[in-house]
Amino acid sequence: MNGFLAIYRREVLSLWVTPLAWVLLTVFLLLQGAIFYSIITHFASMAEVSVDTGPVQAYFGQESIFLLMTLLLVCPALSMRVFAEERRSGTIEALLTAPVRAVSVVLGKYAALLTTYSLIWLPTLLYVVILRKTGVVDWGVVGSSYLGLLGIGAAYLSLGTLMSAMTKSQLVALLLTIFLEFGLFILGVGEYIFDPGVFRDLCAHVSMMGQMEDFSKGILDLRRVVFDGSVTILGLFVTTRVVDSWRWG
Amino acid sequence: MIEVSNLTKDYGTVVAVRDLSFSVGKGEIVGFLGPNGAGKSTTLRILAGFLGATSGHVRIAGHDIAAAPLAARRALGYMPESAPLYPELRVSEYLLFRARLKEVPRAKQNAAIGSAMDRAGVAHMAGTVIGHLSKGYRQRVALADALVSDPPLLILDEPTAGLDPNQIREVRALIKDLSGERTVLLSTHILSEVEATCERALVIDRGQLVAEGTIAELRARPNSSAVSVRVRDPNAGAEAAIARISGLTLRRASTDDAALGRRTLQIALTDGLDPEATVEALVRALTEAGIGIHALWPEQASLEQVFSALTAHEKAALGAAEPGGHT
Repeated sequence: MNGFLAIYRREVLSLWVTPLAWVLLTVFLLLQGAIFYSIITHFASMAEVSVDTGPVQAYFGQESIFLLMTLLLVCPALSMRVFAEERRSGTIEALLTAPVRAVSVVLGKYAALLTTYSLIWLPTLLYVVILRKTGVVDWGVVGSSYLGLLGIGAAYLSLGTLMSAMTKSQLVALLLTIFLEFGLFILGVGEYIFDPGVFRDLCAHVSMMGQMEDFSKGILDLRRVVFDGSVTILGLFVTTRVVDSWRWG
Repeated sequence: MIEVSNLTKDYGTVVAVRDLSFSVGKGEIVGFLGPNGAGKSTTLRILAGFLGATSGHVRIAGHDIAAAPLAARRALGYMPESAPLYPELRVSEYLLFRARLKEVPRAKQNAAIGSAMDRAGVAHMAGTVIGHLSKGYRQRVALADALVSDPPLLILDEPTAGLDPNQIREVRALIKDLSGERTVLLSTHILSEVEATCERALVIDRGQLVAEGTIAELRARPNSSAVSVRVRDPNAGAEAAIARISGLTLRRASTDDAALGRRTLQIALTDGLDPEATVEALVRALTEAGIGIHALWPEQASLEQVFSALTAHEKAALGAAEPGGHT
């Protein structure tokens, strides 16, 4: 536990004293701002708005493809250095000769990434505050939408952590993660392409867009949570084994 | 403090460490000596728990590193080769991270970091970002890191590599200063380093222990000592003069300035003879032959020479005590 906390604090500090987190934050907010602005402009020009739709649902739900595209860049970029850099620079040797278990190392680093991811999302709460000035906001929907984003981020960052542990090159880690997560995203798009059947059900089950559509309506589908959780745990479990395996290289 | 028995590390294509056994007692300062690629770093990494052994056992402070890895790692401070650090952190931030990681109690953390920085001589750099430090200071920060949990055992992989002569002296003094309550195992490929800091040395070559003992014991082994002379010798009469003295062999002769007849000669002394008397005889013979001596200096026996002497000796001992009489 000591080791976990020490690594977590060090990782968060390192992320925010180097440009990476700030660059990602800036790019991310610029993109989200553009998406939000276009959605608001769209709704402002509409004469009538139906009951079950609104800017919040559009942002998190129907138009979630834009939001997920930015995550496909931000998450891999956030996680790429987490192990690759330590192995390239050799600091991993000092880290793993301290009295700390591999699982604490992996979890400490991962928790720091998830914290940073959440911090990057934090300013977008302002959008909801802005909307509240002009209308009614359903806080339950806002809460479930952010929960959906947390789930997707958790899964993406777990896969990114694993990829970063697989290579000493940040660039290779970045490319592998984008490839993997883009593949997962595309598989989800299959929901809208294939005929009804087992394969379409599978696609619907793993669909990130489907997940955001459900969560943005306030539907907390346990199957979605289980899927995100399984990907996260599997990724972290394999990463722990990879870290342990370095002793035998 | 350290007990290593039949340690082997096989990388698949190369065997880095082969059937290595040694032990280091409490309070000893032991030098781990060998040329580059001898398996020093691999052995130290195994002791520190960074690498797993293919076979054999290692006990650190009584804890088997395979069965109780955390207890073993708690007992040691390890400084990796080339001192890798996080460049984005300040020295004090890095050491606080290391102190937390090494389970230094919260109440003692500040005192532990302060004393580690004092000992390693980086206290005035506490607020500096590590990335802005010179190589020598980074090395010292890594040393402070090894000291921060006040471990009974220090394993230092080439602690003076990349330092300037003043810094080397300081680090050696620090290591000497640590002796007494602490056990230190340090690796190096510099012979004089072992002489300056260690009481005992382990010599490793191609993954095997080739010699072990105190510095005096190692010195008593046959080695190839030599002297070099720079002479004014226009008629090239030095060879004949040297040949007249028993116990001298001309190893190399070079002409520095043909017009003035300046030459440099390297002469090997035969083992077993009194070197002082032999050198005296050499000087007398050269002077009598009308050769002017400009300079005379002892050739430092390079590690390679000591090694070839050591390995040759071991092979001879093996041959004499066949079969399997090698201990």
